[in-house]
Amino acid sequence: MIAIRGCDLGKSYGHYRVFEGLSFEVAAGECYALLGPNGAGKTTLLRVLATLYRPSAGRFEIAGRDGVAEKEAVRAAMLLLAHGSYLYDELNATENLRFALALRALNPTDRQIKSALDRVSIGAFGDLKVRYYSAGMKKRLSIAKAMLIRPQVLLLDEPYTSLDESGMSLMNQYIAEIIKEGAAVLMTTHDRVRSAEVTSRLGVLDKGQLRQFTVDELKTHAIF
Amino acid sequence: MPFFNVIRWVAWKDLISEVRSRETISSMFFFALIVILVFSFSFSMDQAAARELIAGIIWVAFAFTGIIGLGKSFSAELQNDCLEHLQISPASKGAIYLGKLAANLLFMLIVEVILFPMFVIFFNLDVVEELPLLLLIFALATLGLSTVGTLFSAMTVQIRAREVMLPILLLPLAVPVMIAAVEATRGALHGDPVSLYGNWLRLLAVFDIVFTVLSFWAFEWIMDT
Repeated sequence: MIAIRGCDLGKSYGHYRVFEGLSFEVAAGECYALLGPNGAGKTTLLRVLATLYRPSAGRFEIAGRDGVAEKEAVRAAMLLLAHGSYLYDELNATENLRFALALRALNPTDRQIKSALDRVSIGAFGDLKVRYYSAGMKKRLSIAKAMLIRPQVLLLDEPYTSLDESGMSLMNQYIAEIIKEGAAVLMTTHDRVRSAEVTSRLGVLDKGQLRQFTVDELKTHAIF
Repeated sequence: MPFFNVIRWVAWKDLISEVRSRETISSMFFFALIVILVFSFSFSMDQAAARELIAGIIWVAFAFTGIIGLGKSFSAELQNDCLEHLQISPASKGAIYLGKLAANLLFMLIVEVILFPMFVIFFNLDVVEELPLLLLIFALATLGLSTVGTLFSAMTVQIRAREVMLPILLLPLAVPVMIAAVEATRGALHGDPVSLYGNWLRLLAVFDIVFTVLSFWAFEWIMDT
């Protein structure tokens, strides 16, 4: 089953074309990495898929739902972990998780929240305001949020940024776990080595065009 | 009931954040205090003139204080890109609007409840008998200001000059609320029978209903634009 499908997708700002004619598919249970130089449009593509930006051309589907016409269904099926942490500084970790989950009509037990925080190694800081968290701790808290939400489609923008070695391993463990459960993951990254641990296919977005490779092909090609 | 839960959680999140940071309430309170002191000293020689003008002074203080709070309502969401989180959450955008509105209304009413006794003291007002009516007027007019203010706060949050744009957009639309609030407050402070200013109260109630419904529907479009 195809979880993410882009058909001739394009995005422009006025006369400036970020990308055009992008067609790709990510199956359920697959992790697809999107590489490319700075400014290639990777984050823009992710934000289009997350329904933050409207595509200028083409269409896309998330979990079988049209990304423009069925926005609410797409939002319910998808979770975006972006550069911004989406966390409230004055709330502690537990409160932030409860709030984020309440917006999805989810009501986790205290035990579930504690267990998720323990898994990302910030269980001891559950009552600490997020204001005092480091960037890496915020990223771990976002992983805990994803663990509790269990989305069908996970969009990750530079998932390894700010994480230490154990954090990057944790991220990959989590990705491996959810694709095993049947979720689809699309990530933008510059870390080919880390991403190769969990992805089977990669796309390189450059000069508005998408070229697709297998992990093995990527090892033998200079791509950009 | 996910819809009502979202309203509750959004209002709770704003209130708990404010209780811990005290950023909005303290700036609202100090601004209003300065307004009261300036007007109080301006009219210290002429108490009769002050009593004639007090309804207008009260609503100038309340409205501009409210704008400070309303402006911060959505700009606080820019931190850590939380506004994006609200935009792409599957929760009803109408419920998010009502949660924000509830929090803004509460902030403004808290400030008004603290400030009004100061007006009574500084301007030597006798309001004991009219207090229930005055509270009703404050509640209706503050709801009107919060309703359109919350919507415009969301509209202007991504604009570079949002601190300027919010009052420019809000105040013209809030003119009926301000006039009705001043007229009704003046009538109540003078001890006039309600029948003399009842139409202003009805105007406030109609404004509240119409703009709450309109803003509720418009909010989704604003969040998606």
